[in-house]
Amino acid sequence: MGAALQSTTPRVTRRAQTRLGIALIAPLMLLVAVFFLFPLGNAIYYSFVDFDGLNPTPPFVGLDNYTRMFADAEMWHALGNNVIWIVLGTAIPLVIGLVQALLLWNVRHAGIYYRLAFFLPYVLPQVAIGIVWGWIYNPVNGWVNKTLEALGLGGLATGWLGNPDTAFYAVMATAIWSITGFVLIIFLSALRNVDLEQMDASRLDGVNAGQQLRYIILPQIMPVFLMVTTVTLVGGFQVFDIIFIMTGGGPANATNVMGTYAYTSAFQLSQISYGTTLALLITALSIPCAVALNRLQRRLSLQGTGA
Amino acid sequence: MTNTTAAGDQLIETAEAAGNRPPAARNRMSPRRRTALSGKHLLLIVISAISLFPVLLIFSTALKTQADVRTNPFGLFSSFSFENLVNAWTVGGFSDYLLNSVILTVPSTLLVVVLSTMAGYTFARLPFRGRTFAFYLVVLGLLVPFFAYMIPLFFQLRGIGLLDTLPGAILVLTSTGVSFGTFFMRAFFSDLPTELEQAARVDGCSEWQIFVKIMLPLVRSGAGALAVFTFIQNWNNFLVPLLYLPGGGYRPLTTGLYQFMGGRSIDIGPLAAGSLITIIPVVIIFILMQRQVAEGFISGAVKG
Repeated sequence: MGAALQSTTPRVTRRAQTRLGIALIAPLMLLVAVFFLFPLGNAIYYSFVDFDGLNPTPPFVGLDNYTRMFADAEMWHALGNNVIWIVLGTAIPLVIGLVQALLLWNVRHAGIYYRLAFFLPYVLPQVAIGIVWGWIYNPVNGWVNKTLEALGLGGLATGWLGNPDTAFYAVMATAIWSITGFVLIIFLSALRNVDLEQMDASRLDGVNAGQQLRYIILPQIMPVFLMVTTVTLVGGFQVFDIIFIMTGGGPANATNVMGTYAYTSAFQLSQISYGTTLALLITALSIPCAVALNRLQRRLSLQGTGA
Repeated sequence: MTNTTAAGDQLIETAEAAGNRPPAARNRMSPRRRTALSGKHLLLIVISAISLFPVLLIFSTALKTQADVRTNPFGLFSSFSFENLVNAWTVGGFSDYLLNSVILTVPSTLLVVVLSTMAGYTFARLPFRGRTFAFYLVVLGLLVPFFAYMIPLFFQLRGIGLLDTLPGAILVLTSTGVSFGTFFMRAFFSDLPTELEQAARVDGCSEWQIFVKIMLPLVRSGAGALAVFTFIQNWNNFLVPLLYLPGGGYRPLTTGLYQFMGGRSIDIGPLAAGSLITIIPVVIIFILMQRQVAEGFISGAVKG
């Protein structure tokens, strides 16, 4: 018991606080232990055995699952897709989101309606998003092909989700459509902290909009830029729903990412241990990003930079 | 964290506050500026249209006549009828899916809010030995993705008889939300002044009374934002029912819709109606409680 604590709080109070505290967190700790910590420990165990889902005492196989994973061409293909997803799925929403935020920055009257319209796609369930975009990409009468035909580009029309060359990017475009509103909203709240005096002064000095963006706005919202990047990075490793719903990883594995590959390995091919090992790789890759994100977030709050 | 919350607070409602506008808006408008402004609105309207188009397409297709769906499924608002909705509701089984969604989402949301509020208060206000360690265990859930343990959890649930049961799925949904919830609520309790509880203690309140009567009412807005955010997250959750309710007896809207889509019956009309039924609660909550939604999602960004 620390002396400092003792001097400020009477022993009786401290004891009462301990009792209430333990009572208040007990149900949570039980839930966390049973539904998170225990299966997490089990995941590590699964990766060192050969579990088929039935055998109660699966044989120990050492690092076999790991060596198999690193020699598996499909794993590298899926991981490569994750990397493409991360790069494009970060860069494009950042650029579009920033442009939208700058456009919206000084809109006063209808601003709220625009913000609602832009943010809505982000809160919709991915299943509904996947279904409706499937129609938009429909090879026969989908809007993408109809628009291309109207523009005289009918030659480019294709079955966007059925064609292995386009499926991955078509799904990604859907994901970008959905996440951009989120990026925009974060940027908008960051722009609120930009020094307006400096903007005024620079305008009087004859600085143009491009220079304002580069030398005044961007440096001031840089921390938020980094934060959004980390969020999309973590999301890029963990992407599952939208791909699983729209293509299931197909056609011919063209849209497979780590998440869908882990799922199919475990639940469709009954290679439980191998699927778990793949899932642990996603975890190992995304945890450093998440840690960096938390650090960054804490530093931002300390600086009072907002968002 | 507190800052994040504050940002969410301003996000949608107070953007109009004076002084938050860039300098351009303060000057009197020249004709050139006026043209630029309407050009900007035109651009914003085009982007909004792209943003909302898929949502409109769901509404339009769901509200067509069946004959129209067959000939012109994706033409916007070319006819009007409730046939598809009636079909999805009765034959398609979406009334059951909706009920299951409610049965899964409401209790898990309540549990997340209650457990997170209790634990958040402890982690902010009630020091005791081992508390920091417990907090790290809970916050570990923010770093470790669901993927890491979803497969073993399946066999664990099967082992204890909770696989393919509503209580099992509700508890898993709850457990996926409590790490963030605890983190979120703790920030609210940490912000409250210590004088309050000291004064209450002098007045002879027990620790329990301080928590329930003094502190709880002060974090109502935080708990509300958490509830709205968690509700949307759980309503939209796809992977949990996909994995842990495999039998199909308790399918919620998300996996029900997926199942319906997988039927490949090209029944676009009822599928659109099912999509509409799935998104409508989210759209309504989003419009009515945009501030809480935005606050939740912005702070939710810390979630790994």
